[in-house]
Amino acid sequence: MQFAKDSFYMALRERLGSLNPARTVMVDGATRPTVIVAENELPSPASPLPDAFYIDWGSARVVQNHAGSRALAALDCVISYCTSGTTGSEVDRGRTLGTLGGELFSICQPPQTRKQDFTRIPSVDLGTSIFWTLPELSEIRSSLSGALTSGGDAGRHARMERRALLTVFFFFEVTLL
Amino acid sequence: MSTSALRAAMIPVTRRVRAYFAPVDRVTGLPAVFDPAKHGMFLLDAPPAPWRDLGWIDNLQRTCATATEAIHAGARGATLTQFRGPLDARVEFDFREWGKLQMALAGGAEHMNVLAADPNANAQPSGGIPIPAVAVLPGSSESEVIFGEGAVDAFSIGDLLAIDVDYQQQAGYVSTGVVAAYVKDPLDVRRDANYVRRVTFNVGRVVGKTATSVLLAQPLLGGVPPVGAAAQKVTAFVDREGGSFFQDWSALFVLQEESGGRVCFYYPRLSPSAGGKDTVTFQRENSVEIAKPIASVALHASFVALPHTDENDTETVLCYRSYFPAETSALY
Repeated sequence: MQFAKDSFYMALRERLGSLNPARTVMVDGATRPTVIVAENELPSPASPLPDAFYIDWGSARVVQNHAGSRALAALDCVISYCTSGTTGSEVDRGRTLGTLGGELFSICQPPQTRKQDFTRIPSVDLGTSIFWTLPELSEIRSSLSGALTSGGDAGRHARMERRALLTVFFFFEVTLL
Repeated sequence: MSTSALRAAMIPVTRRVRAYFAPVDRVTGLPAVFDPAKHGMFLLDAPPAPWRDLGWIDNLQRTCATATEAIHAGARGATLTQFRGPLDARVEFDFREWGKLQMALAGGAEHMNVLAADPNANAQPSGGIPIPAVAVLPGSSESEVIFGEGAVDAFSIGDLLAIDVDYQQQAGYVSTGVVAAYVKDPLDVRRDANYVRRVTFNVGRVVGKTATSVLLAQPLLGGVPPVGAAAQKVTAFVDREGGSFFQDWSALFVLQEESGGRVCFYYPRLSPSAGGKDTVTFQRENSVEIAKPIASVALHASFVALPHTDENDTETVLCYRSYFPAETSALY
C-alpha cells in the first residue's frame, strides 16, 4: 500500500512542479512543490500552511468482484487546501481558492501513474499503474479566530478552505490464495 | 437432551473459480487428463503438468442441452423407457485476467503475436514485415534463451519475445509444443518464414540478461526451443473475428474450497463456440464497474464440449464433475 501512496504523492508533486513552479513551500529548510503528505511530516499543532495541498489517507478496502491473482484495493484520500488570498486586503481569497482548485484538477490528470518503489534509488517500476477517481470538491469552509463555518456565509471570513475527496485504486503486492 | 448424532456439514462453499487449461494433442486427438485420484487436491497455485493456470474467472455457467428422449407405448401412451439424444454441453465464463492464452481461448481462432515491424513496412492489422529474427543457439532452455555475445543486444529487459522455428513451407499444424494454427497451403501465409512466430504460444517476457542470453519471466509453453528456432520482439497480441482454425483445449475448473470440500469440473475437450442454440448475440467483453466511470474489462469465453470416450466403460461423455468431500463430512 505504501508504494501506491508514495506513487500518488510523487505524481502530484512532480505535476505541480511543472504546472506552477512558483507554488513552492519551505518545509524543514527545503523548498519543494506544495504537495504535502500530512502523515510524513513532523507532528505539529500549527494550522496547515496556506496555498498548499495536504494529502490525508483514509480507509482502505479490497474492491469486491475485482480479485485476480492480485486483489484490487481502494484507498480513500482527502486533499485539503486553504488560502487567505495573496493581497494584504485578502479580497482575492475566493479567486485564489478557485485557482488552487483548478490546479488540483490539473495535477490529478491523467488520473493514473506508474506504481513505483521509491524506497530504492533509483526508484523501481513495480509493473502496474495506480489510478484514481476525479476529485470531488466539498463545500467551502472558512475560519475566523479558529472557528470553522461553512455554507453560504463562508466567504465572509478571512481564511477559506476546501477538501477534495477521491479514491485511489491499486493492485496489492500480496498474492491472493 | 437429545443424544442423536449430528450429521457433519455437507455443503460445499466457494468464493471463486479458478480455470486451468491444457492443449489437446491435435495429431492424436488425445486430451490432457485430470485424474482425481492423482491430481485431486493439488495446490491451486501449483497445478499438475500439463495444466496451465489461467487465473480466477467469473460467471461460470455450465449448461446441459442433452435431450432426454422417451419411448411411449401402450394404450395410454405411457413412457416405457428413456434414452439420451444428441449430447450437448456448453460452458461460458469471463476471464478476469488477460494474457496470450486467455485471449486465444476467448477469441477461439488463430491468435497472433504482432511482431515488431520494420518502420518502412506497409501497415497491416496483424503486423507487417517484421524486424528479422535472431537465431537461438543450442543449450537454451524453456526459461533461458541463448543468442550469443552481441546478438543478445537485440533484446532488452521488458521485451516480449516470440520464439519458434521458421515456417518450413509445410501444410498442416504449426508451432512447437502447442498447436497454434493450421496452414492449408503455403501460399495462404505468403510463404512467410516468420509465420510460425506470428502465431506461436511460445512467448516470454525478458526479465534478465547475461552476456549471451536472456532470462524469461515464465517458462515457454512449448518447452525448450527446438533446433533452428529464432526469436522476434512482440509488441502486442491480436485476435480476430473469423478465421478457420479452432482452438482445442482440455479444461479444468476448480471451485476454491472454503468449507473443506472441493468441486472440480473437467472437460476433456472444449472448442470455442459463440453462444448456444438460442443465443442471438454474443458479447465478447464484459465491463465490470470499479467506480463510475472506471471499469475493468473481462474477456468473455464460450465453448461447446466435444466428446470423449471413458476407457473404464467406453461411454461417450462430455464432462466430469468431481467432488472431494471435506474431512469428516457426512457422505449422504
